[in-house]
Amino acid sequence: MTSEADTAHVHEHHWEWSWAPLLVVAGTFFLVPIAFAFYFAYENVTLSAIFAGIGTVMLLAGVSMWVNEGLTQTPLLAGVANIGLPIFILSEIFIFLSLFSSYWMMRLSIDSWPPEGTPEIDKILPIIMTFILVGSSVTAHIAEEKLEHSDLSGFNKWWIITIVLGTAFLGCTLWEWDHLIQMDFIPETNAFSSAFYTITGFHASHVLVGIGAFIAVLIPALGGRTNKTFVTCVSVYWHFVDVVWFFVASQIYFW
Amino acid sequence: MSTQTTTAGHAATPAWKEWILTTDHKRIGVLYLIGSMAAFAVAGLMALIIRAEQMELGMQFVESGTEYNGYLYFHGAAMILAFLIPGLTGFAANYFLPLMIGARDVAFPRINAFSVWLFYFAIILALLSFVIPDAPDIMWTGYPPYSITTSANTSFYVFTVHMLGFSSILGAVNFLVTVIYMRAPGMGWNQLNIFVWTTIAAFVLQLIFIPVLAAAVTLLLFDKYLGTHFYDPSAGGDVLLYQNLFWFYSHPAVYVIFLPAVGILFDIIATMSKNRVFNYKAAVYAGIWGIVGISGIVWVHHLYISGMPDWIRLGHMVTTLLISIPVGILTLSLWGTLYKGAISYNTAMMYAASCLYLILLGGLTGIPLAIPSMTLHLSETSYVHAHFHFIMALFSAFALFGGIYYWFPKMTGRFADGPMATLSFWLNFIGVNVTFWPLFIIGKEGMPRRYWDYEMFKDAQVLGYSFEDFHKVATLGALLIALGMILQFINFIWAAKNGKPAPANPWNSKSLEWTHTASPPGPGNFGDIDVEVDENWSPYEYNNK
Repeated sequence: MTSEADTAHVHEHHWEWSWAPLLVVAGTFFLVPIAFAFYFAYENVTLSAIFAGIGTVMLLAGVSMWVNEGLTQTPLLAGVANIGLPIFILSEIFIFLSLFSSYWMMRLSIDSWPPEGTPEIDKILPIIMTFILVGSSVTAHIAEEKLEHSDLSGFNKWWIITIVLGTAFLGCTLWEWDHLIQMDFIPETNAFSSAFYTITGFHASHVLVGIGAFIAVLIPALGGRTNKTFVTCVSVYWHFVDVVWFFVASQIYFW
Repeated sequence: MSTQTTTAGHAATPAWKEWILTTDHKRIGVLYLIGSMAAFAVAGLMALIIRAEQMELGMQFVESGTEYNGYLYFHGAAMILAFLIPGLTGFAANYFLPLMIGARDVAFPRINAFSVWLFYFAIILALLSFVIPDAPDIMWTGYPPYSITTSANTSFYVFTVHMLGFSSILGAVNFLVTVIYMRAPGMGWNQLNIFVWTTIAAFVLQLIFIPVLAAAVTLLLFDKYLGTHFYDPSAGGDVLLYQNLFWFYSHPAVYVIFLPAVGILFDIIATMSKNRVFNYKAAVYAGIWGIVGISGIVWVHHLYISGMPDWIRLGHMVTTLLISIPVGILTLSLWGTLYKGAISYNTAMMYAASCLYLILLGGLTGIPLAIPSMTLHLSETSYVHAHFHFIMALFSAFALFGGIYYWFPKMTGRFADGPMATLSFWLNFIGVNVTFWPLFIIGKEGMPRRYWDYEMFKDAQVLGYSFEDFHKVATLGALLIALGMILQFINFIWAAKNGKPAPANPWNSKSLEWTHTASPPGPGNFGDIDVEVDENWSPYEYNNK
């Protein structure tokens, strides 16, 4: 309903433009579909690596431009990203729901569970991982509080701790995967391995994106530039990734 | 209109940057328009090849069934995912929704540019299937097990869906926030254009249902390339799971296309009849949101013949029939808006009027398909093919083209109406009827859809004619449409440069995009003064004074 009179006139007299969106899309295009197709469909590892490399560079360049523009330009209506992000998260909830319901369908219609070929999966590690991830949500929140009180160095410190915890979580996932693959539990093994790697992998990819977003906030913050809306959005996204983990852990490990 | 308006503090920017790298909603809308029309042209060419191949028994135009399947894949996927959805929720929503609500841009202009580039790169990925040796051949539906066992490149199909899906999800976030927070001061919910309502309803559907499709095709990707077993019954998976997930999105996707098309019709018909929207609140709350409410529980009618308990079939028969009630409410409102109106017929209105016929024909032929006992007979025949072309493809495409004629003076400052527009309209309108009526008739007699040949029906006769005769008529109709569309595109390009100059509000509309902006609108849309409306304002206030 509101139209902020002060910011509304920013866009009036010239056409706005930006390199960032094009670079991010082009980078993603080379990094994911093209690199994937060369690796899996055409089995050409060299070309796959080259395209992934080009894509990564473009993606990083695009994201850094985007962050820079976000920190320097006045938006038409400030703060609405705090509304946009939860709407986006609604979409994310549905993608996780789809994966979980596929898993439930398989599990409930199969004769015996776990299916043949499933090794004993360690139940201590997911508990440790839960503590790490919940802890990182707490540290992210503390960092936000510090920023609220204009304590930028305190913010940076707690933000870095959050990144370390997030990375530790990702490390745990990778270690566990490596461990299980050595026990011949690979995506192909059976119905449970399919669901296990898909769902934990999909969650881990969200953790990875979250860490990327944390770093995108951190780099300008080290130079003294922050944006509260940006920080809040990244933090809310992280809490969402945290909450999803409860479903992943309870459905995959403890059922 | 490109670079001259620079003020102090902004260095002059080359025009190409201001177009290609634009974050302005109107220019992004134009980029969507160009991309979707290009997709329409290529996918239309595929349709011509398909029709040419079916014209006679035996193989004439394609080299193999696989090649024919490649054309089917591109035609379906491009028409739905790269023409209709981006044309309606990309072009029309981007260009006109912010103008209609009095906003200077969308809430997140850079994310908007991100969406349009995802769309373009998805088109590039789809077009690559013409140069790679193993083009996807799995229709736009991609059913396993074939999509997993085929040697073709299913991954391009999956990533095309991912990119277009992500583009739409971000569009949904953008437009929902824009409509909630950036309406002109004083603009209440019951004062929105119907097009604004239908667009946000379509985006709500995209937001909720696309993730399900994304998950479905991702599992397909994993099954094919990583060896997982989601759709593999031999290892505990379920091959029907894909069909359920796919149609859980793809039936609502029909409404993602249908709703904005209806919204465009409301705006054209109210403006050209100089009349209020009949039953505004019923159309919005019962019609539009009724469709959204029911759309998620009707998908099983796509799977009637896939095998399931009878009680599921019956339940979905009821919900599928039920959704004709909100659709009927919208149709009544459209007709009621004409009632006692002062109707002027121009090209936009001719397209809108033809849509009233198409929705009736397409809607009524859908009722037998909702009923399992009849679907067992009609499923996978060209009857289905003709039905969904009438209701989804033709209805929505005609509404979109009507919208282009309606908004052409706003976008270019010139009219696109004229003898060439009228001629191309009639060619298109006659063409679609000539193409799809024969398919209804032979479909009812068993002509399968998707087949490149119909050898087994060589001796079948309908009304004294062979299937081949009907296919010849259908192909003739397709040629009429092709001619009409070529003339139409020439007309658009010619009129954008040389058409009759139009005033800022040539149709005497009351809607903000006509009353408060120049043609075409400049950066920031509304000059120096923010738009405000009072509580008596309505985009359709033709009867008040």
